[in-house]
Amino acid sequence: MTRMTFQQALVSAIAEEMRRDRGVFIMGEDVGSFGGPLKSTDGLWEEFGKEGRVIDMPISEATIVGAAVGAAMQGKRPIVDLMFLEFLGLVMQQFIDAGAMHYYSAGAVRVPMVVRAKYGVGPHHGHQYDLHSWATNIPGVKVVAPATPSDAKGLMKAAIRDDNPVLFIEHMGLYHASREDVSDDPDFVVPLGKARVVRDGADVTIVASAMMVKRALSAAVQLEKAGVSAEVVDLRTIAPLDKETILSSIRKTGRLIVACEAIETGSSANDVVALAAEKAFEYLKAPVARVSPPSIPVPFNRELEKLFLPGIDDIVDAAERAIQYSDTGALREPVRA
Amino acid sequence: MTNNDTLLEMFRLMVFSRTLDRVYGEHDGHWHGLEGEEAVVAGVYYGLRPTDVLAPHYRGMPVASYAKGADLRKLLAGMLAKKTGYNRGRHRNDICGPPEFNLIGLYTGSLGPSLGYATGAALAAKLDDRDDIAVAVFGDGVSSRGDCHESMNLAAVQKLGVVFVCQNNQYAISTTTEAGVAGVIAKRAEGFGMPGIQVDGNDVLAVRAAMDEAVLRARSGAGPSLIEALTYRVAGHFYSDREDYRDPELVERWRKRDPIKRYRAHLLDNDVLDEHGLSAIETEAAMQIECAFEKALSDPPPDLEDLGIDAVYAEGASE
Repeated sequence: MTRMTFQQALVSAIAEEMRRDRGVFIMGEDVGSFGGPLKSTDGLWEEFGKEGRVIDMPISEATIVGAAVGAAMQGKRPIVDLMFLEFLGLVMQQFIDAGAMHYYSAGAVRVPMVVRAKYGVGPHHGHQYDLHSWATNIPGVKVVAPATPSDAKGLMKAAIRDDNPVLFIEHMGLYHASREDVSDDPDFVVPLGKARVVRDGADVTIVASAMMVKRALSAAVQLEKAGVSAEVVDLRTIAPLDKETILSSIRKTGRLIVACEAIETGSSANDVVALAAEKAFEYLKAPVARVSPPSIPVPFNRELEKLFLPGIDDIVDAAERAIQYSDTGALREPVRA
Repeated sequence: MTNNDTLLEMFRLMVFSRTLDRVYGEHDGHWHGLEGEEAVVAGVYYGLRPTDVLAPHYRGMPVASYAKGADLRKLLAGMLAKKTGYNRGRHRNDICGPPEFNLIGLYTGSLGPSLGYATGAALAAKLDDRDDIAVAVFGDGVSSRGDCHESMNLAAVQKLGVVFVCQNNQYAISTTTEAGVAGVIAKRAEGFGMPGIQVDGNDVLAVRAAMDEAVLRARSGAGPSLIEALTYRVAGHFYSDREDYRDPELVERWRKRDPIKRYRAHLLDNDVLDEHGLSAIETEAAMQIECAFEKALSDPPPDLEDLGIDAVYAEGASE
């Protein structure tokens, strides 16, 4: 075990996979001697630069991801550092094609590619857009969003080994925040497509990912003081969803809150809500609630930004409203508007 | 100098293409015909290695697939969306060649990204220290795409073995090159620091000569080249195109400059093959395509099993 930040965990995952498999390489804008945006490739140039496996790229996002697709079709395992998720619009066509290739070739081709993208409201005060939901609407693409340094490492290693195109989103508010013990075992991976129950609870389920997991856990501590037992499910992989883990939690608690940093219109959170409505309706005791930003662009001013992003209190409020419904689904007392 | 086998194989491919146009165009009014442009596809697609990667223009994708080794009947079955095609009826083989032959097709109708994919294939060859190359073919229309400029720049910066070929048939659907393209496409190569040449795209030998040079350069690790093959789309954008956007007399003038007739005369004049031999190639192509088409037509359609709702993700991971 080594104590690491989220950023260090990601770099160590990539370095381990590059040592393990010569087919793995990384390319992007400023990934070389600069060390990557927010030090996202720190040290890789020194170790792998001479072998030509850390490649600085011109400002050509569509063709950087395009070149990754073409190299992946040839059996390489490219990693692209896209810098920021707000550039996703520049590379959507490449994701659409890459996601279709395996299916459209009846299995003749695989596209093992990881596209890393930083995002999120946090200390960096820019490039915040959480647009990951777009990618969940593309067949064949996986979307991964770690919440902790340990998961960042294990999920990155799994994403690199996976034979599909993966959008790997890296929350900048978590990037250089707390450290935790992270496995040094070269075979440590966190499988894609598996959510994790990070806190057991009986009364309400809070489904979240990335930064919202942190806030959901803080909310759960507050709720506990008020006598409410909240279960927190960290999705980790947003597409494909781990439906079974989500459903089994809902069956247990009967109440669902989904906290997400993407705006509510067209959000990936809506798929969790739909899952509950379609597959767990008979278990629900209270209306399902989303805790999401309003459908506006991310505002610049710090105070506006705080108002925009769901806070711990917003999650607590949503859970307390759900608790107003008794185990039989009856409203205990009128809910305030 | 190009040997007789190559000369005849290129003729065979041109005849193949013209015959396929007739047989398939009569079946499907949406078919993107290649009449008038056969010298480009024959000069560019013939003779690549199985391990070379080819991202063809969509107009001529089946000819490219056939030239790369795809089975004709299976290809036609794929174009007809049959169960027996290369992808179980899931995607159109008329614009997307089977990737098992190192073809990069169109996975949506969006043109341009395939130039980036071809560039990536050349990057893979460089990383693996192979002298395999990538050939990326696009129309005058796609020369305006950002992907085109990005790919050329990246390939030149990284000295990648890419041969860029602009199959300039003077039309992007109905938009003429005057309306859509500023300057001369071949001259753009200079701006990227790579060789660029404009050749007569109705002269298969001129296309071939330019191709030989560019392929040699790409294999040697010296980097990419650009060939602009100037031709004319005698065919409509698709087979049943009303073509009310252009003057029929202009089309007729270009039809008279038929690249196949021209090349056929060259082969006769230079005693590469006699009339009897050339006619035999033409008869054989017609029989081969008509026979394969009839068989493919009678193949079964895909069924529920081919829908593959659990087949979108590749299973497994690297060991």
